[in-house]
Amino acid sequence: MDTQHGTGRRAVLAGGTALALAGMSREAQAARTRFVTANNNPYDILDPHQVFDIGRLAIRLNMYDALTHWVDNPPKLQFWLVNAPTISDDGKTYTFKLKPGIKFHDGSPLTAADVVYSMERILALKKGAYGLFKDSVSPGSTKALDPQTVQFTLDQPYAVFTAILSELWVVNTKVVKSHEKDGDWGAAWLSGHEAGSGSYRLRRFDPAIGFQAERFAEHFEGWANNPRPVDEADFRVAIETATRVLGVIKGEFNTTDGFLPAEQLQRMRQSGTVKFVEAESLRTFYFIINNAKAPLDDLNMRKALCYAFDYDGFIDNILGGTVVRNAGIIPNPMWGAPKNMKGYTYDLDRAKHHLSEVKGVRPLQIGALAGYPQSEQASQMLQAGCGKIGLDVRIVTEPYTTIAPKLNDADRAHDLIPLWRSAYFADPHNWTGYMFNSSNIGAGNSSFYKNPKVDELTDKALLLTDQEQRRPLYEEVSHLLVEDAAGLFINNTKYFGPFTKNVKHVRFCPIGDAQDIRWIEMEA
Amino acid sequence: MARRLVWVPPTLFGLLLLVFTVSHIIPADPARVIAGENAPAEQVEALRQRFGLDRPLPEQFLRYAMDVATGSLGVSLYTQRPVLDDLLARLPATFELALYAILISILAGVPLGVVAALRRNGWIDQVIRVVTVTGLAIAAFWLAILLQLLFSMKLDLLPVQGRSAGWGPEPITGFYTIDALLRGDFETLGDSLRYLALPTLTLAIPATATIVRFTRAGVLNVMSSNAVFYQAAMGIPRTVVIWKYILRSALIGTLTQIGLVFGNLLAGAVVVETVFAWPGLGLFAYNSILQSDYNAIMGFTLFTGAVFIGVNLLVDIAQSLLDPRDR
Repeated sequence: MDTQHGTGRRAVLAGGTALALAGMSREAQAARTRFVTANNNPYDILDPHQVFDIGRLAIRLNMYDALTHWVDNPPKLQFWLVNAPTISDDGKTYTFKLKPGIKFHDGSPLTAADVVYSMERILALKKGAYGLFKDSVSPGSTKALDPQTVQFTLDQPYAVFTAILSELWVVNTKVVKSHEKDGDWGAAWLSGHEAGSGSYRLRRFDPAIGFQAERFAEHFEGWANNPRPVDEADFRVAIETATRVLGVIKGEFNTTDGFLPAEQLQRMRQSGTVKFVEAESLRTFYFIINNAKAPLDDLNMRKALCYAFDYDGFIDNILGGTVVRNAGIIPNPMWGAPKNMKGYTYDLDRAKHHLSEVKGVRPLQIGALAGYPQSEQASQMLQAGCGKIGLDVRIVTEPYTTIAPKLNDADRAHDLIPLWRSAYFADPHNWTGYMFNSSNIGAGNSSFYKNPKVDELTDKALLLTDQEQRRPLYEEVSHLLVEDAAGLFINNTKYFGPFTKNVKHVRFCPIGDAQDIRWIEMEA
Repeated sequence: MARRLVWVPPTLFGLLLLVFTVSHIIPADPARVIAGENAPAEQVEALRQRFGLDRPLPEQFLRYAMDVATGSLGVSLYTQRPVLDDLLARLPATFELALYAILISILAGVPLGVVAALRRNGWIDQVIRVVTVTGLAIAAFWLAILLQLLFSMKLDLLPVQGRSAGWGPEPITGFYTIDALLRGDFETLGDSLRYLALPTLTLAIPATATIVRFTRAGVLNVMSSNAVFYQAAMGIPRTVVIWKYILRSALIGTLTQIGLVFGNLLAGAVVVETVFAWPGLGLFAYNSILQSDYNAIMGFTLFTGAVFIGVNLLVDIAQSLLDPRDR
């Protein structure tokens, strides 16, 4: 738990750990298991409240605990730091009791005051998962009723509240406050240090390399359910895909990301040294259609595009069947996704028919993501289909940093952008309300799509707490989005997690992509 | 020399202005990237204000230039850490790589250049020419992958990536090989050299080719001079003429080139460090560009610019020692 630079970088062995290791016999040290992950993103910020992405999720999942926690596939929400809440009749007040005996890594107890501080910190920093909480939790509304009881009073009922509590990572108030500077909520300090209670605690951090964490034996969940846990976990940065793949084949890494190009998967399979954990994930791939810009504001134009894409050719030939067709935006395994929804097929006659109904047809522009082959391949596939119906499509390849600022400006945005939608929390709202409710234009609704019926259904679904009551609403929304051709929905991604053969038990969950190391069993 | 030193600040200022302009012309929005795709406009705007990105560009430039004038390279928009700290932390990794590469290039390039010149148009010269042209033509990215496949995967001699299997020796200088040596830890020294081998080779091959070409041209140029005819006529042994008089004069041009090659090595490190997951300045620059982290990009450019200028000043000093006309 220490710094990242200069001589301090090597002084990162937390005192107790250093002494413990020093006193350990050679045999005991040899028996310790070490698990090395290669990540395609830098681990440059350790603060769990400053980032909210999949690339740095290992930091939050392993060194911090949240009130709720996702496991398995399809994802199940577990009450983690807390027991199930008492919810008031109006659905606005949630009262949680913390589980007993939870400790931070410095040995101090985790209390309700830490939960309150963490929530206030997220709301004040306005970074990371702030967008998840801003509409339901106001600053000052979270109370510690006693050291073990925390109460949230929401601005309005919010059906996904317990789901998003998986992003309320609890930090050690005393430690963070002691490093606050100029009212920064300890942001500068916590970006290079750790103050959590998670299953692993920080040993070393070097933003150029990654971080190393060691198993926290006193974690409140205990380790009885894992006979051979990982003792030391190294999370290293390797930006280049080929390097990560070769590293896993050679055994320098135990795993890397599970969404590799088909040819790299093939390469690893042929090596004989890698095994795979395969599962359908919750990560849909689709084209954002700019619904606000003529002629894309015409339903016929959008339908012409949806019929001009060769879904089977893309999935079977280009991606070699490593993904599955997903006709709507909600991933197939997720509740709320209509069963057996047909969606669009590759039908050039229908595409031509719809195109003939459009007035003011002009050449369209696709903004493909540089460095993401699938994004460029899908763009070329759509361009080819459109070419066959006489529609001119131009592809502009740009890095995400250039595309991102345009996502919230209808005039500057590209006509079409191929993009993935990952699971930030496992609820249909993640793919519907966030992405297509008109109140989220400028903040998640990058299609500039407006449909009062979709707004009504997604708003209503957020007020209900019963999943069975919410399910038909999302199914209806899903159908409406397809009928409206609000986007060009292509596939759901399959996770092919590569692991070396000494890794024995991987508990995959689409939220976290198997980066939750506490479940992994490993041979020394 | 004093005149050259006077030009350093305006050169760095020009560099700063150029990089600021280029990085801000690109239609990227770091606040949006930092906030994430789902962030509401209010959250993005708050970040924009916090980082001063809502201010007019001249004001942003002025603020940054004033920071630089006080010895600060600003704070990374993304990590909130001082850019200078991040650069200094990564400097030893890149410098170690570049120094070994330049050392190999000089040790191999100068003798090969001399031999090629002495055997002008002979078969040795032809072989060296083919090899050096190939070395110059190969893209670093491709060469790196070829070396990985051959030495790591096929022959299983060297690691694929990284600077160390663990976290390196306890730092004294930050150079793993030197630190291991100072601590008498020969196992770590060997380990560090194994990890250094492939990225160093990737950088050294084109650098060697450049040095060979310049040394050869320099030696041929001096060999045809009147001074050499005179020395030969005076009966001075051929080996003395070659290694004492010709080489000394020819190396003046090569030395200038070594300074430029070193700059290219720092720039080339961006690609090589990315492929080999080498935790240096190059990887830092790559990530900063992806995140549109203006301060980090400008800091990196200014920093490497300063290093480049510093190295070339040293080259100038060395040159003046070799060539009395330069004093």
